[in-house]
Amino acid sequence: MRRRQFLLAAAAAPKTVMVVAADARWLECCAGLVARQLAAGLRGLLVRVGDDRLEGWNMPPEQAAWRNRLEAEAAAKVLGLAEVVSFGYPASELRNVPHTTLRDRLLTLIRRHRPAVLVIPNPHTEHDRNLDSYYAGAAAEDAWHAARFANYLPALALEPYVTPEVYYYAPPVDPRRREPEAAAAFVPQPVQVDISPWFAQKLAAARELKTVNRARAERLRERLAAAGQRLPLLATVDDAAAARLAEENLRGLAALGAEGSNYALAEEFRYAGVEYGIPAKYLR
Amino acid sequence: MCKWLLWMAVAAAATGQPLPLGELPRGKVVLIAQPHHDDHTTDYGMGGFIARLIENGYRGVYIRASNDEKDGRNGYAQNDIINLREARAGLRHLGVDEVVSLNWRNDFMNPIPLNELREQLIFLIRKYKPDVVLGHNPWEHYQKNPDHRNVGRALVEAYWMAGDRNVHPEHFALGVTPHAARHFYGKGRLDWGLGQQSNVAIALNETQQRKKELAIAAHRNVYHNPGAKKAYLAALAGEGKALPELAAVDDNTASDLILHWWMNWISRDIGRRAGVKYAEDYYHLDRWDDLPGLRNYLQRNAR
Ligand SMILES: [Zn+2]
Repeated sequence: MRRRQFLLAAAAAPKTVMVVAADARWLECCAGLVARQLAAGLRGLLVRVGDDRLEGWNMPPEQAAWRNRLEAEAAAKVLGLAEVVSFGYPASELRNVPHTTLRDRLLTLIRRHRPAVLVIPNPHTEHDRNLDSYYAGAAAEDAWHAARFANYLPALALEPYVTPEVYYYAPPVDPRRREPEAAAAFVPQPVQVDISPWFAQKLAAARELKTVNRARAERLRERLAAAGQRLPLLATVDDAAAARLAEENLRGLAALGAEGSNYALAEEFRYAGVEYGIPAKYLR
Repeated sequence: MCKWLLWMAVAAAATGQPLPLGELPRGKVVLIAQPHHDDHTTDYGMGGFIARLIENGYRGVYIRASNDEKDGRNGYAQNDIINLREARAGLRHLGVDEVVSLNWRNDFMNPIPLNELREQLIFLIRKYKPDVVLGHNPWEHYQKNPDHRNVGRALVEAYWMAGDRNVHPEHFALGVTPHAARHFYGKGRLDWGLGQQSNVAIALNETQQRKKELAIAAHRNVYHNPGAKKAYLAALAGEGKALPELAAVDDNTASDLILHWWMNWISRDIGRRAGVKYAEDYYHLDRWDDLPGLRNYLQRNAR
């Protein structure tokens, strides 16, 4: 009886898209896809694993972490996400969080929210020098896998659950990211997703990340200055210049993501959908 | 599914494909950070590139992260001392005089607090201010040695984090300043299936190739093998073959000769992929590799 009530309640609730983020880079990698999913009627949940404490300029890490939390929540609101959960682990230290601790926290959220779609950092990507994404991605992938087995965390008294669709995201630095896997089943395949109609919304969300944008602009100005170079846009670094730089970044990424497609602006992923579990020949 | 473009292009195998020749990066200091005494020069990198950088005005610093206690037959403590001495000798052939030994325990680098090693590397990058950082490619496939994988991971993070003033600000009280090196070159093996996904080849001339061979030969504790001659000749005889050039020299010379053949072959093999006589291959992260969305914009607008 209890089980039947639960299933009825689940059927009535809107489906959820759950985004796992190691750091603020989630927005540049997948905000277009998320906006697209929300426009299709899904409910959005963002899980911030790291606290972005290094993404501040001339401020203590605690202040940067606090501001970045508030600004991530504001950006999520612009995209239409209903909820943001911040785990608060110190940025750049995710290697020190036990894998199973992180996995089980994510697993709990997966069983509680029963997302239709998971969007997670790709732990299999190469040449991304920020390894927080690797540790968060590995835990998220494991959580997706383990959430389906009743023997994991039975004390939670939450039904096991399989998320049917998973998108793996990563900054486009792996030259082999577009290479398909050998088989269509059991390995996520590369896809490009058209974000043209949602790009303005992605830009508006990015503008909310004022502290991150400012820190990145200041760091870039400093890196250029160390090489005797300057960028006219950053002659004076203020919030407007930082937002403009963030926009250039998002435009550049969307153009990269669209390369080789008919789309003007796109994001690219590895995608595990129905064919991940059931080979195509059985689906026909 | 129709809203997406599914990529189904046939992937070409990476190994054996032509490699672009890389320019020598401009700069003054190269920092090489590896787990072991002999990782500056092995069959799959880096001695030739180091020699070429030094010949072009660079100063070099070698960081040995482990204590190399397992390499050799002399017991842990003696191995450590002999291997460090031979690292200095080998590196002198390449023109590198400074060796910093961090002495983490050899072959025990999975359970070490890697963020502490990373902090040491961040500090050393801030101290020496390299333009070029050389190390192990942490994304190399099938790397079985945990020291290589983990020092590579710590190093590639230290490479970008050293330039961030929010990272370990306590270092600045010790007189160092943030420093972002402009190039990272990661080495890996190419003879392990798709072991090393290289994106650049660095050409070597005869002198650089020779220095590389001398540098590895200096590690006699692990590479000098007077018994090799007899073993090779016996194996060949079993197949009805002979190797007069090896048979004609004494056991010690034969060991050096085999090392020379081995090192020469691997440099020629990589050189063939790049259209030159000798080369080494690397995965190169350039200064804007972490900003793929801004790369074109910066190339157009940074002055
Ligand atoms: Zn080694």
